Amino acid sequence: MALNCPRCGGDQNRVEHQGKENGTVIWTVHYCTACCFTWRDTEPALSIDPAKRRKVFQIDPSHPERFGVVIPVVPR
Amino acid sequence: MNKFSDLPIKLASSVRSLRDFLDLLESHDQCITWPDPIMPEPDIREICVASGQDVPGAPAILFDKIRGYPDKRLVTGVHGSWANLAILLGHPKNTTIKAMFYDIISRWGSDKAQLPRVKPDQAPVHEVRIERDINLYDILPLYRINDFDGGYYIGKANVVSRDPLDPDNFGKQNVGIYRIQPHGPDEFTLMSVPIHDMGRHMQAAEETGKPLRIAVMLGNHPAMAMFAATPIGYDESEYAYASAMMGSPIELTESGNGLDIQAHAEIVIEAEYIHGRREFEGPFGEFPGSYSGVRRAPMFKVTAVSHRKNPIFENIYIGRGWTEHDTLIGLNTSAPIYAVLKKEFPEVVAVNALYQHGLTGIISVKNRFAGFAKSIALRALSTPHGLMYLKNLIMVDADVDPFDLNQVMWALSVRTRASDIMVLNDMAMIMIDPAAVNPGKGHHLIIDATTHMPPDPIGGDVEIVSPPSGPAIDALAARIRALQGGN
Repeated sequence: MALNCPRCGGDQNRVEHQGKENGTVIWTVHYCTACCFTWRDTEPALSIDPAKRRKVFQIDPSHPERFGVVIPVVPR
Repeated sequence: MNKFSDLPIKLASSVRSLRDFLDLLESHDQCITWPDPIMPEPDIREICVASGQDVPGAPAILFDKIRGYPDKRLVTGVHGSWANLAILLGHPKNTTIKAMFYDIISRWGSDKAQLPRVKPDQAPVHEVRIERDINLYDILPLYRINDFDGGYYIGKANVVSRDPLDPDNFGKQNVGIYRIQPHGPDEFTLMSVPIHDMGRHMQAAEETGKPLRIAVMLGNHPAMAMFAATPIGYDESEYAYASAMMGSPIELTESGNGLDIQAHAEIVIEAEYIHGRREFEGPFGEFPGSYSGVRRAPMFKVTAVSHRKNPIFENIYIGRGWTEHDTLIGLNTSAPIYAVLKKEFPEVVAVNALYQHGLTGIISVKNRFAGFAKSIALRALSTPHGLMYLKNLIMVDADVDPFDLNQVMWALSVRTRASDIMVLNDMAMIMIDPAAVNPGKGHHLIIDATTHMPPDPIGGDVEIVSPPSGPAIDALAARIRALQGGN
């Protein structure tokens, strides 16, 4: 089942790491390659459930030019 | 004995590493090991927040039962209380903040740095070396520090970089603390801005096309964690400052990519700047107590990791104050402002810039004539740190201890007239001030709470009570604390 990113809703995610106990996976860390959000599937809903996250913390990564750049790229 | 205080200097000269310091803290009941298994979220941040409620006396906390990270160790709160800072400086753990301030400024500017070299193959930091299949999520017990952070931040690293235009200049080699957000197994963004020394290195590398290799040190000598965050000159060495200020050596070795690193660091991540690439970074709950928003930040590629056997990942809780951030850098923010002012104005007595990196500061001064304190305040706003950070500045007389807020409130109550308030519009300000209308620009406030002097009119018939003070009273206060059981 494809997971959607809790922050941007996209499905471009990959698994970064899994924590295990006695050989059993107890959590999985995911990374969204679209908006760069990282999350663990065992985190409180406040952080990873799109329905419970505050909307101000959701982002739309489809227009990166709308976000500021910390150190501007030097024109070449 | 110190120059300004009567405290004995019993430096923790045996401390060579984070591990040594944790031992020292534990011997003073200032380091505990969390006894129960915990989940990375929300347990770690909840324990850190709870511990942070005790700013005077909170212990460092070692976590070695993090579920899913069976062999990993994490420590937080190493600099999280005034007691821990006092122990680092070699003083009783109930030492006053004022006494620690005078101790630090008495050591400021010392030229007695001791930086012995250890061969890389003999340095503890290189005990384990990883050059392939690097996965930061496997090596470090990473976790979300605040509920809505964009990732799992590394918040207390000492990052080393050389000036790409002058790579052999030891003084221009910078050690700074910059927040780091891992992006995948072997990449991370690093938050620096052009005014930072490292920001200069990044811009110079991109302008010239030269490579920029860095070393991210985790689990550091406790003095380095303090001085990497201290605003010192561009061509001054944080290593030298930390060693000189502590009066003890900091042993250096070389990283695999040619930088000077602490031989006893727990973990070192070697990385290279990826020119021209910017990725989403943030938000991150920052020191003003607010999230900093999402921006696009420079990316680095990890090339190797070295670490001690059974390493300790040291991290910080930062967010709405007070947090370890404030105890870690408060005194080191106050000291350089004092040092700059004192050169030109010996009337300056003390500087308290403890509050959220100096967003509010209090300066005590021997007032010479009417309006004098206001001029000192204006000079403070043009110091390297004051320029961007001193948003609210309160000026008090020399008879007011700027570290005692009861005394400061007394001065505000009885010495300030509404006409003593100055607002300086549209000046430089840090980007992440949550009150900003235009981030990066804002108003500075000066409140002159010093006594009025001629030619200002002074009405009424007022004399101020002068309770007994001085070393004898300080000694009595120390004796009372000792009788209470402090040591």
